[in-house]
Amino acid sequence: MSALTDAAIDRAGLRGVLEARRAGRIDPAAADHLRSADLLALGALADCVRAEEVGDEVAIYTRPAAVDAQVVVVPCEGRELTGLELLREVAVARVSGPRGVRVRVDWTRCGLELAQIALGFGANELAGQIANKRGLPMAEDEKLGVVGKKSRLEPAETVKRRELEGFVRRSGRTPRFDEEAIR
Amino acid sequence: MIDAIRRRLEAGDRLSGEDGLALLRHPDVVAVGQLANEVRERLHGDRTYFNRNMRLEVTNVCVASCLFCSFAKLEEGAPGAHTMPLEKAWHELEIRMDDPPSEIHVVNGLHPGLPFSYYEDLLSGFKRIKPDIHLKCFTAVEIHFFAQHYKMTHREVLERLRLAGLDSLPGGGAEIFHPEVRSRISHDKATGDEWLEVHRVAHALGMRTNATILYGHIETFEHRVDHMLRLRALQDETGGLQAFIPLAFHPDGNGMKNLPAPTAIDALRMVAVSRLLLDNVPHVKAYWVSMTPEVAQIALRFGADDVDGTIVHETIYRAAGSRSPGALTTEQLVRLIQEAGRVPVERDTLYNVVREHPRAVLPEAAFKVRDRKAARHLEVVS
Repeated sequence: MSALTDAAIDRAGLRGVLEARRAGRIDPAAADHLRSADLLALGALADCVRAEEVGDEVAIYTRPAAVDAQVVVVPCEGRELTGLELLREVAVARVSGPRGVRVRVDWTRCGLELAQIALGFGANELAGQIANKRGLPMAEDEKLGVVGKKSRLEPAETVKRRELEGFVRRSGRTPRFDEEAIR
Repeated sequence: MIDAIRRRLEAGDRLSGEDGLALLRHPDVVAVGQLANEVRERLHGDRTYFNRNMRLEVTNVCVASCLFCSFAKLEEGAPGAHTMPLEKAWHELEIRMDDPPSEIHVVNGLHPGLPFSYYEDLLSGFKRIKPDIHLKCFTAVEIHFFAQHYKMTHREVLERLRLAGLDSLPGGGAEIFHPEVRSRISHDKATGDEWLEVHRVAHALGMRTNATILYGHIETFEHRVDHMLRLRALQDETGGLQAFIPLAFHPDGNGMKNLPAPTAIDALRMVAVSRLLLDNVPHVKAYWVSMTPEVAQIALRFGADDVDGTIVHETIYRAAGSRSPGALTTEQLVRLIQEAGRVPVERDTLYNVVREHPRAVLPEAAFKVRDRKAARHLEVVS
């Protein structure tokens, strides 16, 4: 962690939250304090916790995946959030959840842009159905044109998965498609 | 590294090109955003600007063949080519006179077949309809084209257009100044030096202008930094730039459609780094058409202090696959800014305050621990 991040966490009064968490004490009541903290400092704290507890990998689920007590899905069903609220929810879930909590962002409810940004605020999983530009599910045999030195058709799912991988890599993280958890 | 940059910023030192590169490469974009946010709040507090403007592209016929462009058509009569009769362009303002914009922003293709009087009449017609409308029209690329095509100097072009009603220049056409990139993506229009010279002349005539960068295609981080440093040097010389607007490349339907579009993280990073590097340009815009309103809202925490305006009519980004809406209402812009915990300030083109809106009683605003200036701003709400 840089001194800049360290100082931001201090200024926001979040040092105690970080130290308590490192000592294995998680205070769910801290969530109230986190909801009033400076957003970028909270994001820095959440990202630090994420790196220490679950590492750099981002699990990507493109089909319905199991949700258990270790998983927090943001945004939760039926809740409208602004982009900034979503980032705060993600960070709060990371910092006040159980150690190693899997914070999953559903890109079908918030868009891939916000989902990508959320990776810098504590998220470590992305989930959503691969869809076309109209938001409709891709047919299994659907193909997409790929332009390059040689234009060609490729299965739509392959193209979309490559895009998802790119989104994750460009946020500085390592993508991993998680097929085992598919139910 | 980022700590050393912060110390330099605190000491009031200017960042170097190497600093800019380090910030563009830094893995923690939130940390870069924190630095930029500190500068933004030092300059503007929570004030976040927008205006009521209307975009108009009166012709998309263009002799230039820029690889990134999905808007231009090479000749009149080609499928999709259009050139508005003047009456139709004026009509776009007339039909909005019950709730008129304060600014018309015109950007066009480089049409080889129109007389110069077309552009003069376009401007004077708008002023006839609404004498106090601010006309922010024609990129430096267009001004340079007019100079070549109608055999005038840049100064003569600008003086004639000013007589017809031109008030300021938009920042488009800058793309990437460095010839290594510019010669590949837009070889047949104004060079980077020519773009800068048009703005230099405009500033000498007392006009204000904006500047852009088109990022996320074939350029390197070095090219982006070079671009911003050239603008910073111009601003040191003239002081005429008002705002810097990072524009994300969109690949649909153009000559670089094999490239991936820059992502939201890239957009936030560009906003943040430009806020830090362009220490002499007052405003950095999160242009919602380019980055979507949702990401623009977040960019207000990464260094941006302006979201542009209501737009109404944008077609250039839509042609390139932008998923942003075509227009936002004043109410939507106010809410977007309020939800970010900022104070919306409606401005005119020259950043004179038209109306300061209250800070909202919304969750994100209520969450804020900080703030002292905001209360004072609220007192002046009409």
